Amino acid sequence: MQSENPTSHKGGRTLPEGEALLSVRNLKKVYHTDAGDIEAVRNLTFDLGRGELVCLVGPSGSGKTTLLKCIAGLMGSTEGEVLLDGQKVTGPPKKMAVVFQEYGRSLFPWLRVVENVELPLKNAGVPKEERKRLVQEALEAVGLDHVPKSYPWQLSGGMQQRVAIARAVAYQPEVLLMDEPFAAVDAQTRADLEDLIRSVWKKLGVTVLFVTHDIDESIYLGERVIILSSSPTIVQEDIVIDLPAERDQLETRSLPRFTELRHHVYGEIQKAKQGHRPEEAITMVVK
Amino acid sequence: MKTLKSVGYLLGLPVILLLWWWIGTSGEANFFVPTPAKLVTTFIDTWFGERMLTDVLPSIMRLVVGVLAAIVLGIVLGLAVGLNRTMRAVTEPVFEFFRALPPPVLVPVLMLLVGINDGMKIAVIISGCVWPVLLNTIEGVRSIDPVQNETSKSYGITGFSRIRYQILPSATPTIMAGVRQALSIGLILMVISEMFASSSGLGFTIVQFQRSFAVPEMWSGIVVLGLIGVALSFIFQWVERRVLRWYHGLKEVENAV
Repeated sequence: MQSENPTSHKGGRTLPEGEALLSVRNLKKVYHTDAGDIEAVRNLTFDLGRGELVCLVGPSGSGKTTLLKCIAGLMGSTEGEVLLDGQKVTGPPKKMAVVFQEYGRSLFPWLRVVENVELPLKNAGVPKEERKRLVQEALEAVGLDHVPKSYPWQLSGGMQQRVAIARAVAYQPEVLLMDEPFAAVDAQTRADLEDLIRSVWKKLGVTVLFVTHDIDESIYLGERVIILSSSPTIVQEDIVIDLPAERDQLETRSLPRFTELRHHVYGEIQKAKQGHRPEEAITMVVK
Repeated sequence: MKTLKSVGYLLGLPVILLLWWWIGTSGEANFFVPTPAKLVTTFIDTWFGERMLTDVLPSIMRLVVGVLAAIVLGIVLGLAVGLNRTMRAVTEPVFEFFRALPPPVLVPVLMLLVGINDGMKIAVIISGCVWPVLLNTIEGVRSIDPVQNETSKSYGITGFSRIRYQILPSATPTIMAGVRQALSIGLILMVISEMFASSSGLGFTIVQFQRSFAVPEMWSGIVVLGLIGVALSFIFQWVERRVLRWYHGLKEVENAV
């Protein structure tokens, strides 16, 4: 049943009303600087269904981080909106957790591992017993229940990012946003962390939006890949990754289908870099 | 062997200095420089008695109250100013002006305003000690990592919780550097405030000894000041090691890379 070309949408895929957990609608972000306006994101529309694992991939400087910050409510958009469960996002929502690329700066160095994971729960007023349970479960899920008393800076980069993931997981979000979380770790650690994300996603049924610049990573991890154009950003293509649900670093990556998808996404990114813009995508989403 | 070495480092130079002093004063007597033995006996006679209660403890009390008040005031004001860009812009030139004023010149003014009492002396100490703490707190708050800010924000840690869980801990290394400066300024101002108008305290007593040519007693008072300074510094280091254990560990790791 596998075809040459993946199932794809030019422009972002949208779901019928009420089915999407996270909706991005005509999102535009312009930075006003002294040197003039910079249009980072021009027009983005796509939906995330409940329980999906979607990767966002795009050339560097394509406004991936800007988009993620708008979705996370850390930054206001110039036009358009982000809806979580039908509610407009105006500030960081309780149902969302973010994992940042700079784990070393995102974890608080004055807190031990357990305290870091516990802090958002403590701040939210979760009772102590439950807090303890959630923290323990989250640390077990990322394979770090043996170092609770360490400080983050005593751990390796990969382990620090696990702590950050545990902190996000313990917060029990419905949507987990990840901003190039593995860009700063070595290749082997990266493979482990990718598998960790898949297993956490399956176990907890959380919806994941994973931003990356790594094409292979986006295909290996995602059930769906959204390809962004170069800046000013629009959705170049939104494809379904029809790889088996059980992914394996060696097996999956050597499947012919993996190679096909990789070729396809690579081609799209190259087109994006050369300034190709799918005009039909814009006409589709703009009334 | 290791402890022996560190004890050697700790006491080595003091022992050499004492020896030098002892040899230097062993010849013909100089009225203005007492011998070590003379100073030790004077020290014990002068300070281990009533003076401990009437002069030393009140001085230390004023110093401690003044420094602690300055630390609290400096941190609270520093947070308020540091977190607000407009406040920073408005207050910075004014703060620079006040910081530039040598606090001793305020003693006569404060005497008139507050009166000649403990309050005046504490006010002098605060007026000098608050600046390093205040300015360092502002600096510490201002240089907070934007990723830490976004982390707090995305996990709903805002307002007072954010100050408590993120901003204060993150600014502590800078604040502690200010506190260290405040301690030495505090000691100086404690003495000066007591030299102007006072009937008790270390500064007062030392000036009295000077005026009555009680030279060994005067020297022994100076030794008391030195000892208080050393004690303060040890207490500070002990507190700092506890509060900033994470910071020193982090720096060690960063430097090792």
